[in-house]
Amino acid sequence: MFGLLQQLGPKLAGAGIALGTVYHPPSQHHYVSLFTDVVMVLLILAFVLTAFRDIARLGSGLSRAWAIGRVTIAEAWNARMWAVPLVWFAVCVLLGVLIVRGYEPSGVVRVYMTIFLRAQALILLVYLGILACVTLPRERERHTLVTTGSKPISRLELLLGKVIGLSAAGAIMLLIMMILTWGYMNVLDLKIRHDAQVLYAMQKNSYDKVQRRMPPDTGVKYLSRHGMLQAQNFVSGNLSIAGYVNYLTNPPSRLLKGGSSEILYFEFPSLPATEYYRPMFNFEFGVVHALPSTKPVTIDVTLVQRSNPMNTQEATLTLNAQGQVFWMPKNPTAFFSYGNPQTGQIYNPGPVVVKVTCPNFGVYLDIGNGLRPPNETSCMAVSLDTNRTPHHSGMVAPRANPVITGFKNNGKQEIVGPSIRHPQIKPEVASWDFPKVDQQQIPIGPHGNFTVHMVISVDKQSNEARAPVAQIVAYNTSTPRDRTVQSVYVNEKRITTIKLPSTLLEAGDLIINLRSEVPGHWFKVKDNSMIIMQPPSSFVWNLFKSEAIILCEIVLIISIGVTASTALGWPVAMLTAMVAYILGNLFHFVQSLFQSGGLELFDYVQDNRMKHVWYYQIGSFLTNVMVHILWVTVHLMPDFTRYDPLYFIVRSKDMPFEIVFLDIIWTLVCILPTLAIGYLLLRKQELA
Amino acid sequence: MVADSQAIQTRQLSKVYPGFFKSQQVPALTELNLRVDQGQIFGLLGPNGSGKTTTIKLLLGLINPTSGDALVMGQPAGDQETRRRIGYLPEESYLYRFLNARQTLDFYARLFNMNRAQRRRAVDYYLDFVGLDPSVRGRRIGTYSKGQTRRVALAQALLNNPDLIIMDEPTSGLDPVGMLEIKNMIMRLKEAGKTVLLSSHQLADVEDVCDRLVILYRGRIELEGALRDLLEKKDVFQLSARNVSEALQAKLTQIAEQEGAVEILTGRARVRLEDLFKELVARKRSGEPR
Ligand SMILES: Nc1ncnc2c1ncn2[C@@H]1O[C@H](COP(=O)(O)OP(=O)(O)OP(=O)(O)O)[C@@H](O)[C@H]1O
Ligand SMILES: [Mg+2]
Repeated sequence: MFGLLQQLGPKLAGAGIALGTVYHPPSQHHYVSLFTDVVMVLLILAFVLTAFRDIARLGSGLSRAWAIGRVTIAEAWNARMWAVPLVWFAVCVLLGVLIVRGYEPSGVVRVYMTIFLRAQALILLVYLGILACVTLPRERERHTLVTTGSKPISRLELLLGKVIGLSAAGAIMLLIMMILTWGYMNVLDLKIRHDAQVLYAMQKNSYDKVQRRMPPDTGVKYLSRHGMLQAQNFVSGNLSIAGYVNYLTNPPSRLLKGGSSEILYFEFPSLPATEYYRPMFNFEFGVVHALPSTKPVTIDVTLVQRSNPMNTQEATLTLNAQGQVFWMPKNPTAFFSYGNPQTGQIYNPGPVVVKVTCPNFGVYLDIGNGLRPPNETSCMAVSLDTNRTPHHSGMVAPRANPVITGFKNNGKQEIVGPSIRHPQIKPEVASWDFPKVDQQQIPIGPHGNFTVHMVISVDKQSNEARAPVAQIVAYNTSTPRDRTVQSVYVNEKRITTIKLPSTLLEAGDLIINLRSEVPGHWFKVKDNSMIIMQPPSSFVWNLFKSEAIILCEIVLIISIGVTASTALGWPVAMLTAMVAYILGNLFHFVQSLFQSGGLELFDYVQDNRMKHVWYYQIGSFLTNVMVHILWVTVHLMPDFTRYDPLYFIVRSKDMPFEIVFLDIIWTLVCILPTLAIGYLLLRKQELA
Repeated sequence: MVADSQAIQTRQLSKVYPGFFKSQQVPALTELNLRVDQGQIFGLLGPNGSGKTTTIKLLLGLINPTSGDALVMGQPAGDQETRRRIGYLPEESYLYRFLNARQTLDFYARLFNMNRAQRRRAVDYYLDFVGLDPSVRGRRIGTYSKGQTRRVALAQALLNNPDLIIMDEPTSGLDPVGMLEIKNMIMRLKEAGKTVLLSSHQLADVEDVCDRLVILYRGRIELEGALRDLLEKKDVFQLSARNVSEALQAKLTQIAEQEGAVEILTGRARVRLEDLFKELVARKRSGEPR
């Protein structure tokens, strides 16, 4: 079921795109196993078979369940449920006031949003989790189930009634909390806007009168008009950088992070056909171990033909002690040009791309400065670090410019401008790829332009005197020759706006390349340094969607609590719900534990003399069993890490509706087997 | 539907309350065979702990029998649809303390899928019917006196205008007027053709209203029959008359049949139910080692 959902996800997202919204993938990727699917299906099957009659009666049964739900709400309300949002509000405001002293406006809003929403989720999870665990046991203790049970209700309706009632109580409280949040944030926003107005007036005044070079900040102007709350929707591109980044070494080098999603790309143009042509790659990396490890370092290599991306060849290669490996692709004529000496016919399949990833966790591959000695075109190869590795004469490919992508969340990266001392070293280029699907809803201005917002910080190095200037090259992948080139002054740490013709937004991806024009200037860039604004969307709606995510989480914990309390006393039920929640939050941890070799990770000593002692082996076996039990348990728990109400709203981004939708579906998918367990336990239970 | 003339029928119905050790198990009911016809007022009597409440809970499906089975209105005990036609007044008034009388009845009315108008009508009607003081109706039940709570519980049992009403000690906690009202109410229910299963320790009341009764002792039926037959002294003849002069009184024993007294009642002498019950329980107790 999870697996199905996972497959369905992108499709639904596609549907969302068709509806005109932009899909952002959920913040956490979600791995699911067949094991979980099978268990869930079995449970649901057992439920459907045993609850057949009760399910058939659900038509009128839902109103009976709702009646029970109402009583549950009344009970909670009577136990001063209304005080919870008030306490929450008081605590949050107090915490917020203590924390945000001296923050800038965007920080203030972020901190408050984080505190308000985190605390909501936390308080309601605890409060309703406890209520869920005690409501049935309490009815049993007070014998009220005797009277209720003599009425025409089924056990399924009883169970559903409890879940529905408590969920409704949660919804009511969330609504109160949402209104309080909305009100408080708006008050905060009024103040921020007022401050921004004052600041902008000051900046403008000094610019008009004193004629300083610094123009008033358009960001401040925007802030004074619109405030912080509206979701500033934008699309950001995938950043890749050609060149080197790590300056600690001399000359600077770049590191490919093993066990991550980073990919190293080389693109080789088609080579002139030679009769005795033998394509061979010579990979050579400096291997840096961040963790002690005995496993040999391997790289996964994929050869892709540019003109036909389906034509690939993969290999896993083991590096030798010097970090080297040679690779000769099989069936080379499928990828590389060659000439037939008999017929004189020349076959030329065009450029090829080599992708390299490193699966070894805790290993970094130093690709050096990525430069190649010039004029070596005799054979195809990769030799990366001319300074550190012996020169492989005649083994170097022309213009195999290495590019690393996929370092998304690893923070900022720097690109180097033209070198003052070595003019032959070309400046590095940062390149943003805006996928075609993200290009809808980009507002086009009256002159047929759209606006790109750029925020980069500049490291002026030794060239303090000159203002930073960036060269922007933009094109669409469908028309790569049709390039727009601009030079712009960079507003440091502020928004620099660039206007580009809307003709760039046509058939393919939009590529925007950036480099420094000023020698010695370095730019610090990250994924969303280059963004295209979309129309803002309302705060209330965005807040509502975040609350919906919290509600999903709460409903799940409620059904877990109620289910646990059908067979257990309330203290044990609470413990069970808590364990389920904690394990549900460890989902990814346990996943990664397995991906990185289980508990063997802690046993990295190669020459373990204990290895053959019997008690060591027993201990090792038991650990292994434990890890597997953990795996099974975790896979029986719903993944709570999925619920992230904060990711979008804290970044002032519009939460895509698909995420809410998928989370709701996913919650239902988790609740169903949970309630199935509850029903099976309650089915034959005596109510008196 | 075949056995519809019988409101309740049990076959070898037994209940052993489970315990971890065998010595902790309680055989509360042993092979009970019970038949209650429709339209009857049926008394379920017995000393404390004899299994009356257990029987009732089994009939409602609130607990599961250890063996044997029970049919209620022709359906297996606990059937959801059958419970629409049953009203149940538990031994103690197990109601939600945080609701007031109206909310309570409204809740139970919702469980019968009544719509809003029906609910409002039924709630007001039955609260009047059981004579709950209107001034307390908006207060939480937790604050009620025992008798007031009992009346709400009674209203709850009648709410769906049931065909079968099961009452476990209906008069407990009621004042004498309340007891009388209950008695009258049961008579009215009988007139309306309803079946009533009644468990009570108020033997005088049972004597007045019941058609048939059963006396349980330690989970077994000790005595069963129509009230009239049970209370008759088969070997004693009894005569009562009105408008009897003193002289006549003297002669009456000799020549009752040849004198013209009016409204002469003759028949077998009757014991009071209370005496019957006490005698039976005393006999059982003395017969068993203690
Ligand atoms: N939940 C239970 N667990 C164990 N034993 C029980 C349970 N409920 C009742 N019993 C026992 O079963 C027997 C019958 O109980 P029941 O409540 O049916 O008696 P009763 O006839 O209603 O008595 P009373 O007149 O006091 O209401 C008693 O001995 C009682 O102790
Ligand atoms: Mg009893």
